[in-house]
Amino acid sequence: MNEMTTVPIAVTINQTRYDVEVKAHHTLLEVLREQLHLTGTKRSCGEGECGACTVLVNGEAVNSCLVLAAEMDGAEILTIEGLERNGELSPLQQAFLDRGAVQCGFCTPGMVMAAEYLLRTTPHPTEAEIREGLSGNLCRCTGYEGIVEAVKHAGRETDS
Amino acid sequence: MSYSVIGSSVNRVGGRDRVTGRQVYSADVSVAGTLHAKLVRVPCARARIVSIDKTGALGVPGVRMVFSGEDLEPPYFRYGPVFADKPIIAIGETKYDGDPVAVVVAETVDAAEAGARAVEVQYEELPAVVTIDQALDPGMPLVQDPDTRGDSPFRDTNTLKEWRFGWGDVETASADLVIENEYSFPMISQFAMEPFAFTAAPDHDVMTIYTSIQIPTKMQKTIADLLGKPLSKVRVVAPDPGGAFGGKQHPKFEPVLAYIAEKLQRPVRLELTLAESFYAVRRTSARVRVRSGFTRDGKVAFHDVNADWLIGAYADITPRIVEKGSYAGGGPYVIPAVRILSRALLSHTTPPSAFRGFGVPQMNLAIESQLDIAAKKLNIDPMEMRLRNIPRKGQNFLPDDPACDGHWDQVIARAAENIGWNTPKESNRGRGMALGIKMSATTAASYSVVRLHADGSATLLCGTSDMGQGARTVYAQIVSEELGVPIERIHVVMGDTSTVPFDLQTTASRSTVYMGRAVYAASQDVKRQLQEASSQGSDSNEEILKSLFGKVSGEIIGVGTARAEKRDGHPLGGHTAFYELVCTAVEIEVDRETGGVTIHKLVTAGDVGKALNPQHVHMQDDGAAVMGIGHALMEHLIYDERGRLRNAGALDYRIPTTKDTPGKMVSVFVENEDGPGPYGAKGCAESGLLAIGTAIANAVADATGVRIRELPLTPETIWSALQEAGDRS
Amino acid sequence: MQSFKYARPESLPELLELLEKFRDRARLISGGTDLLVKLQHGNLAVEVVIDIKRVAELSDRVVTTNGWVSIGPRAVIGRVVRHPGIESAYPALVEAGRIVGSVQIRNRATVAGNICTASPAADTVPPLCAYDARIRLVSTEGSREVPLRSFFVGPGKTVIAPNEVLAEIRVPAPHGAMGSSFDRITRRRGVDLATINIAGVLHDNGTAVFAFGAVAPTVVVAEETSGDLCDPTVSADRVDEVLKTLLATARPISDVRSSKEYREAMLLVAARRVQRTALERLTQARGGRE
Repeated sequence: MNEMTTVPIAVTINQTRYDVEVKAHHTLLEVLREQLHLTGTKRSCGEGECGACTVLVNGEAVNSCLVLAAEMDGAEILTIEGLERNGELSPLQQAFLDRGAVQCGFCTPGMVMAAEYLLRTTPHPTEAEIREGLSGNLCRCTGYEGIVEAVKHAGRETDS
Repeated sequence: MSYSVIGSSVNRVGGRDRVTGRQVYSADVSVAGTLHAKLVRVPCARARIVSIDKTGALGVPGVRMVFSGEDLEPPYFRYGPVFADKPIIAIGETKYDGDPVAVVVAETVDAAEAGARAVEVQYEELPAVVTIDQALDPGMPLVQDPDTRGDSPFRDTNTLKEWRFGWGDVETASADLVIENEYSFPMISQFAMEPFAFTAAPDHDVMTIYTSIQIPTKMQKTIADLLGKPLSKVRVVAPDPGGAFGGKQHPKFEPVLAYIAEKLQRPVRLELTLAESFYAVRRTSARVRVRSGFTRDGKVAFHDVNADWLIGAYADITPRIVEKGSYAGGGPYVIPAVRILSRALLSHTTPPSAFRGFGVPQMNLAIESQLDIAAKKLNIDPMEMRLRNIPRKGQNFLPDDPACDGHWDQVIARAAENIGWNTPKESNRGRGMALGIKMSATTAASYSVVRLHADGSATLLCGTSDMGQGARTVYAQIVSEELGVPIERIHVVMGDTSTVPFDLQTTASRSTVYMGRAVYAASQDVKRQLQEASSQGSDSNEEILKSLFGKVSGEIIGVGTARAEKRDGHPLGGHTAFYELVCTAVEIEVDRETGGVTIHKLVTAGDVGKALNPQHVHMQDDGAAVMGIGHALMEHLIYDERGRLRNAGALDYRIPTTKDTPGKMVSVFVENEDGPGPYGAKGCAESGLLAIGTAIANAVADATGVRIRELPLTPETIWSALQEAGDRS
Repeated sequence: MQSFKYARPESLPELLELLEKFRDRARLISGGTDLLVKLQHGNLAVEVVIDIKRVAELSDRVVTTNGWVSIGPRAVIGRVVRHPGIESAYPALVEAGRIVGSVQIRNRATVAGNICTASPAADTVPPLCAYDARIRLVSTEGSREVPLRSFFVGPGKTVIAPNEVLAEIRVPAPHGAMGSSFDRITRRRGVDLATINIAGVLHDNGTAVFAFGAVAPTVVVAEETSGDLCDPTVSADRVDEVLKTLLATARPISDVRSSKEYREAMLLVAARRVQRTALERLTQARGGRE
């Protein structure tokens, strides 16, 4: 493959396949938001410090602002838009809503995705594991109390 | 009183959209045919713009316009909430690091960025005023041209304005103990997770501004003045902000975008990065010198305060911040004599604006530290000291203002009991406590409309901005309580000046009280109409609506208003609606080797009147606590000697993470249903932040014996202070 | 971000050919967590970004061989620190790797990238230097091995030639009992860049190797053979004395993260903590052998 300014990629996002041409210098975040209009993923710091743009790529949580869309050829991506099932909130989303984990909501999509990854890799996390797992996601509203509670609760839910 | 939904923790209205990614924020708005803007800046605090060569930029494919100050002609339009002093773009001179010199507008973001890189700016760096001492130095350049300052007595200095408040005579007040100290409070970034994003979209004769803003109506007025349009032809659409904290009250780059959009007759969009937001707004920093007198039995005899507040090159809302922060600067205490002199000083730094707590935390650090120092010297418990000085309910403590409006002793007691104030503590730990008080809104104009539809569902229209505080939820609870409509059958419409009635502003923890009252009144209006239409007075809503609209459909429209008028002659222009009162208490531990602080427990106790939604109140308190920990331990903007901002953005400006929170965080409140809001509610959005820096500084002093008079208490600051104290002993 | 081209070679010869063609106008991307920040900030302009993730010859695994542990150039930090061979023998690398950025960063960033970015504050560099890791570089001209300790030239600068690529990180297996640890000072507890960081390795034969980051343009490595740091019976004062000689080579500066004075003081504080933990581990390892 030669060097290209525009790169054709085939990606699966939330179980839907997309064949798109992306600019070589565009990030996954830019393509999700501007090209595919999946605006649930948020842009804040743009330098991998805040976690607002967290998505799952091949099952791994990543900052989509620090990934080139061109790198995503063949990848399977899960964004916040892909968590609901038949219009029902996922248990984690429901826990965020019930436990007071959401205020302005701007960090919420990234926070939920980071928590989703945590629960996939550590189904019953301790409070310390939750705090470590979410330490790359900044929130300025909640003080994190409700968020940690929500993840704890969602972790317990998967027990039953 | 017992209520059906008031006082219960119903889930956030709009919460579902937020956990699914459906919530539309300002940056998610997409208008067809939009052009993209990029700002051009020069890397210094102050510069004379020699020339701007736009040729290269205009040669970039897709670039449609390069706009700069040269494209404007005098008299220049200027705007601002207190003084109209800010031009829509730098004219001849930049006045702070990040002050844009040009705006490049192009068909794509890529082209706008390429165009911005291609603009060649010749500039001459000029000496800049960056610190309080420089602002006070008559040898330093003037930040604002005296000719733009009208008849201000300070026009030939860098003092924007001066305030003098007080009562009694501090010169003759007798005291057994007098202590004098200087405190300094840093520049802090609001750091809303949502960076600024604006779109200005002209359509025939209407200009629509999409922006994340707390005061859509003031934006509407600014744009109408700029473009010479009637208010009806300017529409401000304000999607719920992704955090604001005061930083999104007043216009940023909307005016320049509106101007360009009007010229090009095309929508223009500008999205800033989080780092760029650091150049758009910050919190006012301050240096407070205070001489305080105390009697032997722990009563405050007097405070004599000199406070210097460093503002930016443009006033924005800072005069009001300084004024309100200074006015009740003595704290929630009965004090025989107080003298406060405050000065707002212009500088070449990021223009400050409002930030949760307004001007209170800056003064609080000084006054509440003084109380602790005195308590130690007088060998009185710091909590006892505060109890001896606070007013009882109904007692006057500010001469021209309403009396104490709550049982504040109960607030202190709740905090003390939850931190275990009177229990033994481990030897290496320290406890600290501080009270905070904030004057709320002094004027108000909130209008609301409730539409009860024929099927018994309701639509509520109101102009509050829900930026996370949960206004939508609380208003829906009020409508539900009054009209018996289930919450899920109520739709709350906000944030569009062409649709919702006027609201003065979403600021000062006012919305539950004032808009809450308007919503309550509108609901009562609907109720009254229902009662009038009811045949026996006992018909259900459904029956009445059926009888009214069974043949020809329709709806019942209720209107509610809540106003508070200006009081001429009052120093603040009006009486506060209520006092926001908090007691913060902490237990901490200091690592003497590194200076690092571990907060084991933090308690926020507030007087909320009535918690309409307890979970929302706890969230406000928890959020304010962690934001306050940021203020206390790690956050500050760092400028170099040339006035360049060195830590813009999340990389080197650190806010607390999930791992920086207290071991245990508790929020408790006193509810006596004695507030002016519906059901006796008071506001509570800011209180959690007022006193936290001071409480932690007091605890550090308790743990180490070393008093630090500046924030933030970074590990390095504490380590240095401990070293110094060690060297001395 | 300024525009550039993207290339995705599928074999090492193809990659090396691209490097020969573009030389220093090209940058390699694997995790991209450092590169994209630089590109977003506009601090770096490149003509082409070469994605090495499909180059079969460049491994993404950790392999334990006789006398060495080999870390592939595409191995991400999050996986490296969970590798049993690394977990059991190189606790300082594990401790350092676990605090590089956030979970999201560690899922993407490679150990090789952390090295090649050549940030003076990189957290995995001091432990790897203290363990005396070697770097294998390949180009069309062949292959060479460089000790990591002499790999760095300055901030952001290494001995890698424009046509070379890092092919392997080789860490020697411990000879006999070894105890090691890593610590750092940061401005907050959650995700942060190091104000200073330190790794220390104590060997059974009395050799102590310390490596410090963020205190000079490149990592500083200091070795000491008196045996005092590896001896649990030696007094705290003597340990301090030895540590101070080791730390004398550090040249910290003041910047937005810390003053020079604080860095200097924290070096000693962190060095003490590292020595204490490493010595506990050494004693444990010695005990296990007895």
